[in-house]
Amino acid sequence: MLLKTVFVRLLTTAITLFGVAVVVFILVRVAPGNPIAMMLPPGATDQDIATLNAVYGFDKSLAEQFIIWLGGVIQGDFGTSITLRQPVAELVLGRLPATLELSTLALLLAVALGGFVAVIGARKRGTGTEVGLDLTSGAVLSVPDFLWGLIFVLVFGVLWPVLSISGRVDPRIDIDFTTNFYIFEGLLRGRLDVVGSTLSHMLMPAMSLALPLAAMIAQLLKQNLKEALTQDYTTLARVRGFSETAVILREALRNAALPTLALVGVQFTFLIGGTVIVERLFAFEGLGNMAIDAVINRDLPLIQGIVLLFAALFTVINLLVDLSYTFLNPRLRHG
Amino acid sequence: MADVTTNSPRLILTDTNFRLWLPLLWIGVIAAAALLAPLIAPHDPLAQDLMLERLPPFFMDGSEPGYWLGTDSLGRDVLSRIIYGARIALFVSLIAATTTGIFGSALGLIAGFYGGWADRVISRLVDIWMAFPPVLFAVLLVAVMGTGLGSVIAAIALIDWTRFARVIRAETMVQARMDYVDSARIGGARRAATLVSEILPNVMPSIIALLMLEMGIAVIVEAILSFVNLSISSDDPTWGSMIAEGRGAIHFAWWVLLFPLIALFMTVLSFSTLGEGLKQRFDPVLK
Amino acid sequence: MTSTTAHTHTLDIINLNIALPRGQRLLRNVSLQLEPGEVRALVGESGAGKSMIGKAVLGILPHKIKMTEGEILLEGAHLNAMTPATRRRTVAKMSALIPQDPLTALNPVRKIGPQITDPLIRIHGWSHQRALARARELLDRVHIRAPDRVMHSYPHELSGGMRQRILIAAAFAPSPRLIVADEPTTALDVTVQKQILRLIRELQRETGTAVLFVTHDMGVVAKISQKVTVLFAGRVIEDAATHTVFENPAHPYTQALIAATPTPNVSARPFQPVPSALIAELHRDTVAADALFAQRGRR
Repeated sequence: MLLKTVFVRLLTTAITLFGVAVVVFILVRVAPGNPIAMMLPPGATDQDIATLNAVYGFDKSLAEQFIIWLGGVIQGDFGTSITLRQPVAELVLGRLPATLELSTLALLLAVALGGFVAVIGARKRGTGTEVGLDLTSGAVLSVPDFLWGLIFVLVFGVLWPVLSISGRVDPRIDIDFTTNFYIFEGLLRGRLDVVGSTLSHMLMPAMSLALPLAAMIAQLLKQNLKEALTQDYTTLARVRGFSETAVILREALRNAALPTLALVGVQFTFLIGGTVIVERLFAFEGLGNMAIDAVINRDLPLIQGIVLLFAALFTVINLLVDLSYTFLNPRLRHG
Repeated sequence: MADVTTNSPRLILTDTNFRLWLPLLWIGVIAAAALLAPLIAPHDPLAQDLMLERLPPFFMDGSEPGYWLGTDSLGRDVLSRIIYGARIALFVSLIAATTTGIFGSALGLIAGFYGGWADRVISRLVDIWMAFPPVLFAVLLVAVMGTGLGSVIAAIALIDWTRFARVIRAETMVQARMDYVDSARIGGARRAATLVSEILPNVMPSIIALLMLEMGIAVIVEAILSFVNLSISSDDPTWGSMIAEGRGAIHFAWWVLLFPLIALFMTVLSFSTLGEGLKQRFDPVLK
Repeated sequence: MTSTTAHTHTLDIINLNIALPRGQRLLRNVSLQLEPGEVRALVGESGAGKSMIGKAVLGILPHKIKMTEGEILLEGAHLNAMTPATRRRTVAKMSALIPQDPLTALNPVRKIGPQITDPLIRIHGWSHQRALARARELLDRVHIRAPDRVMHSYPHELSGGMRQRILIAAAFAPSPRLIVADEPTTALDVTVQKQILRLIRELQRETGTAVLFVTHDMGVVAKISQKVTVLFAGRVIEDAATHTVFENPAHPYTQALIAATPTPNVSARPFQPVPSALIAELHRDTVAADALFAQRGRR
């Protein structure tokens, strides 16, 4: 039963990814402006253009190009970047760790902040504190990450310049990274200065991404907590002498977290989508920032590679959330 | 749940009317600024004067009378640019939200009402669309279609139709199962007519609430596209291009970023509060 | 008066009044006592306020419902005089609850074991081993086979009767002086009901715990209690030894309740529902209900 569900989910995931590949391929091909012409110096002959077109396969029919490209993708060959003249796979995988670290930190911040506010709201239910928290989270929710980023740039760039507002790590730090997971590697190598510097660069972009999700978690989790707190098992816990806070944390939280998790999964993909503009805003050298450069430079193979990677990331996260939901719910696990 | 509402302290901010009127007031101000821009803007938004570059706003030392919110790096008046920027912001939000709403709601109604293959195709398309990072998708679409107002509006509609399609599909499915649709059909109404006469009016409140939300989103998307220099020609005053410039000059002239940011922030917050308020007012369950 | 008597009651409720925020009274001047080791049934139709008494003692009255007057003494300690935190700990150390619905009273996402041992360790300060041994002992006592396996199960893996037996074990585990049983058999099958009643009775006798048994079923009253308090519209209308009430009910409502109970071992009378005219009359004229107020055998 469970196996069949997983299989169906994997199949739909594959169809979705194939759809994404088709859409992005068509989009990129109908773009006006010849990227090959842009690569060559002025005065290049038609012969030169034709040669280069043949090298990149642009002289074949769209269907042929698609099949060749897709065949490569399946084997892990995403083509070669036109502007950077390096394999797309290499470039994209080089930037992915930065974006993953950023999104993970943002997710952790959102869960911690949203969870904290939800617990306080549930603890203070029926009071002015709850109303105030509801109004605040409602407002925070309606303002997107881009605007939060700008607000942080203003506050920390001008008013209170304690955090850096651009880049990923202090360029003066002397370290040769073997991976692009700066925090992870810094921790493993005991270079706390690297970890600190990376974190201080990441804090503001991560916070911009985290705030709307935190507000959403705060609202939804609080609602689910309040629901759980009317259940008989929480009443019984109160009779057994547990304080209201203990009842929330020990009895209600796990029950309330399950329905919240389903939503957080979808929202996490939106959060990752938000890294595109937030990385741009903070000049953070991640995948999203590279994607915008690729679009501006009409670097077709690179755009295709990045979009496909994002899409794969989104669908895999949704898949994992669905599976973990099943795993964490004891009623479904045995069912 | 019920006991909480009765016990909540009465706060003016939780009053539904207040939550409708406050955002309407701000949107009214912005709309008035947009309509009356040539009359109320103190300066030409495009006029450059290098003698007056980076003037601070009125409350700081070194400000010039008449340049209330200061000037940017090219000596252009920030207040006048915000007022003219409101025109583009409101125009884009109105047209883009309407286009997106019509397009997405139509697909949602069809998928929810007819089911079967139509539903399967539309739902699969929604899945594919949701797998794209929206900002990157927008940037890519505008790059493909070329910069300009039309491209920006088309890009918003082509990306965000899924928001309408998903919500309206679900609501249509609920409505289509209700008795009144059956009784209308027994009465001889044709299927398509039922869709328009019976179901559409019932999902209309959701469409209107989503439209408000979408208007706020459209303003943001336009600002993001301007920020990466892909919206309309960079000479035109848009809040996004002002913000992009302000980001670059943050250490020299923070006011170039601050004031358009406030305008953008208030507008987005107003639209979404209005959408939320309308949803609550129309929703018979919440009422 | 009552509080100055020489010996200490397990539970002493004096002149308890409970009301909704708008002043609608749910309980009027209710007084009752439980002696150590006594089982007292609290009967009445739904809405009579019988559950509210147990909830007031345990400090779990619903959100808007407040105690407006009266005293509650648990083992001689004035609960009203305590801070909420002290009251919570005092009540938890001396009393326990057997809830009505075993299906919702166990946390669905936690294993059974910790749900029994947690309060023993964290509230009563027992060691982990002692709590675990006690849980095993009681699960065994309530006829649960393979207690260790059950403690590693989730509630949905067990039947309703099993869950109620687990909740009984959990209630008796810390050896409380008082147990409030809030219609513990209502949600169960008739066959399971009997086992559960017998189990509560046995455990109560072995431990000497006083039980306040809330029910609407006179048949259950006859099986389990030595004393009965009959409530109608928030008032005590009869308070006596169980056999006295069954043999010679003083109040017409009690008489009707007994007549409405198809219990062969009490009488062979045919089943008669409580006459609606009687209920209407009692509701209409609370003054008349006061006049009929019968209170016998009270110390």
